[in-house]
Amino acid sequence: MTKFRHEAWALVRGLAFLSPWLTGFLVFTVVPVCLSLYYSFCDYSLLQPPLFKGLANYRMLWHDPVFRKVLGNTVVYGLLALPLGMLAALGVAMLLNSKIRGVSIYRTIVFLPSLVPAVASAMLWLWLFNSKLGLINTTLNALGVANPPGWLSDVRWAMPALVLMSFWGIGNSVVIYLAGLQDVPRELYEAAEIDGASSLRQVWHVTLPSISPVIFFNLIMGIIGTLQVFATPFIMTGGGPARSTYFFTMYLYDNAFTYLKMGYASAIAWIQLLMVLALTALAAWSSKRWVHYQGR
Amino acid sequence: MSSFSTKVSTAIKTLIVVVLSASALLLLAFGPRAGEELPKDCVIVDYWEKWAGTEEAGIRQIVDDFNQTIGREKRIYVRCLSTSGVIEKTLVATAAGAPPDVAGLYNQNIPQFAAMDALEPLDEMATAHGITADAYKKVFWDECHYDGRLYGLVSTAYDLGLYYNKDILRQRALPLRARGLDPGRAPRTIAELDAYAQAIDQVNASGGIDVAGYIPLEPGWYQNYTCIWFGGSWWDRKNKKFTFTDPGVVRAYSWIQSYSKRFGSQSETAFRSGLGTFDSPQNAFLAGKVAMEQQGTFFANFIEKQKPSMMGKWAAAPFPSFDPNLKDVTYCNCDVLVIPRGAKHKAEAFEFIAFVNRQDVMEKLANSHCKISPLAKVSEQFLDHHRNPYIRTFDSLAASPNAHPTEPIPILPEVNDEMNNFVQRLVMLQVTPEQGLQEMQDRLQQKYDDFMEEQRKRRNVRR
Repeated sequence: MTKFRHEAWALVRGLAFLSPWLTGFLVFTVVPVCLSLYYSFCDYSLLQPPLFKGLANYRMLWHDPVFRKVLGNTVVYGLLALPLGMLAALGVAMLLNSKIRGVSIYRTIVFLPSLVPAVASAMLWLWLFNSKLGLINTTLNALGVANPPGWLSDVRWAMPALVLMSFWGIGNSVVIYLAGLQDVPRELYEAAEIDGASSLRQVWHVTLPSISPVIFFNLIMGIIGTLQVFATPFIMTGGGPARSTYFFTMYLYDNAFTYLKMGYASAIAWIQLLMVLALTALAAWSSKRWVHYQGR
Repeated sequence: MSSFSTKVSTAIKTLIVVVLSASALLLLAFGPRAGEELPKDCVIVDYWEKWAGTEEAGIRQIVDDFNQTIGREKRIYVRCLSTSGVIEKTLVATAAGAPPDVAGLYNQNIPQFAAMDALEPLDEMATAHGITADAYKKVFWDECHYDGRLYGLVSTAYDLGLYYNKDILRQRALPLRARGLDPGRAPRTIAELDAYAQAIDQVNASGGIDVAGYIPLEPGWYQNYTCIWFGGSWWDRKNKKFTFTDPGVVRAYSWIQSYSKRFGSQSETAFRSGLGTFDSPQNAFLAGKVAMEQQGTFFANFIEKQKPSMMGKWAAAPFPSFDPNLKDVTYCNCDVLVIPRGAKHKAEAFEFIAFVNRQDVMEKLANSHCKISPLAKVSEQFLDHHRNPYIRTFDSLAASPNAHPTEPIPILPEVNDEMNNFVQRLVMLQVTPEQGLQEMQDRLQQKYDDFMEEQRKRRNVRR
């Protein structure tokens, strides 16, 4: 009995200490998430009480050509930006893992762009991509390219331009990869070297399996990040030209705060959540085959 | 040695703590204070406004004038907060039941907010203050209404005209005269505008545009209303139906597309994407890249600010119409002051709104924003001392029977987005005007009908 009372008291004290966070989590996360699920079945403008309309919002999404467009754009962006970004980050991390003079300076330089606010980066890249005055096209002109792309104004180039720009923020992933690379036991490389493995084979058979948990983590974060891409295209292209860079979260935002269709926006948000969950589950399921944890 | 390094380390740490603590204390003692001390015996009216920079300064001057005169007399103090995203913030604050007393929105927000019962009707208060329709230019009075009720009053207003670079026209006098055109005046019909533009265009050997006489999408802010200069309209106010397939509308969009066809879609896009931003010396008109541009009254302010050397080298005229008999056509737009539903001090808020709509106050504000007065009566002093030398042209355009307001449609943001997307496809030659307009007609009419049906259901639920 005494033991029970002691444990109950410990639980109460624990909950009391947790309560500030717990209250915030309940009020600002759990309740809004539950309400958004309810609103997704309603006509709700925020200014008027919600009006229940069953699955109508989801049915409308099914027939909405703009929704199909943003879905397609988001998938294409994800398929381009995620693998290319991961490859670039891993490649840069490997370079920064080598023992060269001034490596810490290079690491700082690579990480610095991640600290620049999204709006500032977008403004900078707007100028870089300017078709007449931008640094990119000026360089291409100097290299003899007669008609360089109108990056953000050309429906064929706007998406690749945003993908290119996404590399600007790989600093965070590079740091995580770097931590993983520095954790790879030296003796594994020594053993591979004794066995006559080339550098490429060492990367394939030692480095990649050893840092596979880190790759897995970056993959999950990348899936979430690319499906939620918002600030950069919102500032740089506004979704244009001709909705070629109009993404999922932008359409959600427009429905919620421009068209005042909170119910419809909630339905979009839930579809987005389900997509993230499904892709994360798929990645987790596939990880059994390619992610290797030390000590297992 | 070890003891020495420990001492140095401790000294450095102590120094850092002392410096940081001293900085914090100094900041507390002499740092920034709340900017405004509120009078204790006054009703505080919270006013959220979207403007920043020089426009905000103009608004603040009016607020100060109010606080020092009517406000002091009636014990009302207006606290002005310049805020970004004012529409979203007003929306959320209204939904939460804690809106500002006055919000400075755009006229196109009135139908959307009013249809959702988010604004206080102002008819009774306006009548009590002697504010009636005849005090305003009709177009602006109309823009403040939705469904027959008054939901806001104007703060600042503008209309559109054709700005043209007199220097460029003079430089291109020979090709202009060769086409029988007068380089000393603005074009008076759309056909003339096209002829002027073609005489001025300078295209380089590789097909790129160096200078354009005119481009419908530069800046392209008002292309949703291009049809009014073609005698068309995409909204039937009486029957509340979209009329995107109206011949005037089709003509307008065919005209917009004709420029993309003439220049080549790629060339036009490349030219436009290489132009600088609006509020910069690289602005297409200021940089001499585009000779004629459709712009609002306020544009003179930006010319003065960004390229003072251009003063006297430009002129403004009514934007030409397709039909020579259709004269003085313009599109009018305004910022409005509204009282959101649930505001705590409605009567006091309206005192401020009424003050802004007094002729002397309105003219002071209009001049500070380099805009026109929405009021029917305009003083000679205002016209004589305005910063836009063509203010008389803009003022008479807004008073013309062919002055066109923003369409009072509650789903206007969606309509605007659809139309912008359509125009982007149009200039990329991805769609014909007829196809695109028919698509919009079907989609937007459906959305409008759905919206009205939902509002009808809500009314039934309330009953």
